[in-house]
Amino acid sequence: MIEERTLQLINADLDGELGQAEKDELEAILESSAEARLMKAEFQKLANLLDNAPEQTPPLDLSARILGQVALSSKPSFTLTNLFSSFQPATAGLAFAAGLLLTVGFYEISPRYGSASDTTSMVGTMVAGQQSQRAESKDRLSFEGSGVSGNVSVQKSQGMLVLNFELDSDQKTEIEVSLSEAGLSFGGIAHVSTGDEAADESYKISGGTLRVVNQGRQAFSVFLPYAANGKGSSRDIGIEISTEGAQVFSGNLRS
Amino acid sequence: MVNSREYALVERCKKGDRQALEELLGQYERPIYNAAYRILGNRDDAADTTQVVFLKAFEHLDRYNPKYKFFSWIYRIAINESINQLNRSKKQRPLDENQVAATRGPDAAVEAGDLSREIQEGLMDLNEHYRTVVVLRHFSDCSYRQISEILQIPEKTVKSRLYSARQLMKDKLQARGVY
Repeated sequence: MIEERTLQLINADLDGELGQAEKDELEAILESSAEARLMKAEFQKLANLLDNAPEQTPPLDLSARILGQVALSSKPSFTLTNLFSSFQPATAGLAFAAGLLLTVGFYEISPRYGSASDTTSMVGTMVAGQQSQRAESKDRLSFEGSGVSGNVSVQKSQGMLVLNFELDSDQKTEIEVSLSEAGLSFGGIAHVSTGDEAADESYKISGGTLRVVNQGRQAFSVFLPYAANGKGSSRDIGIEISTEGAQVFSGNLRS
Repeated sequence: MVNSREYALVERCKKGDRQALEELLGQYERPIYNAAYRILGNRDDAADTTQVVFLKAFEHLDRYNPKYKFFSWIYRIAINESINQLNRSKKQRPLDENQVAATRGPDAAVEAGDLSREIQEGLMDLNEHYRTVVVLRHFSDCSYRQISEILQIPEKTVKSRLYSARQLMKDKLQARGVY
């Protein structure tokens, strides 16, 4: 039976934490005890296995995702908690077809800039913290069928793409947006009041894909900062829409 | 002892210097991801946790006390977030099916992947206190003192947890015929 003291010395030796006196003590024990030598060899083998276990490589888009989100939190009045929350607009009752209105959430971010109906300026403010530039409309997709209809468009402004969704669905709808493949990260999501609120709204980012689940009449914008080491100026953003597990639409938006 | 280079980087980050952020991220992304992966046993969770760690760190840089090493501070956030993630998951997910060494050839990768899986399973058998000290010692190459600083527990406790964890892992891996 090996004494506790011997086990402690063996372990501390593996960790390079023994002083000279303790090293001498362990050496004397090892010389006189075959059992202690065996135990030391077993612990040494375990330590070698652990120390030489293959290192894991982080996902290629991880640093870009992190930097993209950090960029959005650079304004002092803005907290990351806000970023992950659904922004609640204060202005309600505007016509659904009139476009997107993003208010309270972004007023909290930067009350000095932008108007309630100017999504573009809010994006510019968030990214650069300076006066806005006009957004450039890039592409638009429309879809209709199986109880889901609507459209999604993409705008480009100051290092960020903005996807504007307008949907009407009878059933629970899952929308998937492939971000990492397009060299994009998730920056935030803003739901817009339509006067007929969508039910069960939720979203999740996983494996470089944004999944938004909701039902009813809905309008929301997704903010996508370019990855720091992203692709060139043109990107294809994959959009898939499913209801009850069945795909009803699949297409690419070109930015 | 303050690392003046890191201190300068942190100060630049506080002023919104993106290049400094990228430098800190470049320095710590991989080790933090690996520590999270070894604690959580799942790549997606490790990536999500790494993301949260850096966002929290960058958001709360003003709380970092330069008397301590930045390394210890960010690792502490990483360990806490990993344990939070473990608790949120409640039941741990199965290990990734395809964990292989990304930089090796196909045969070596399969062999290394099997061994890596055995080691990860051995780690997942440990409770979170034991697993954490093993990860910090063997995967993050921390000394007793650094582990003590990160976990804010006495060095004596670090030693005792490490000894017990190794004994348990050795017995389990031997029982599985790993060695």
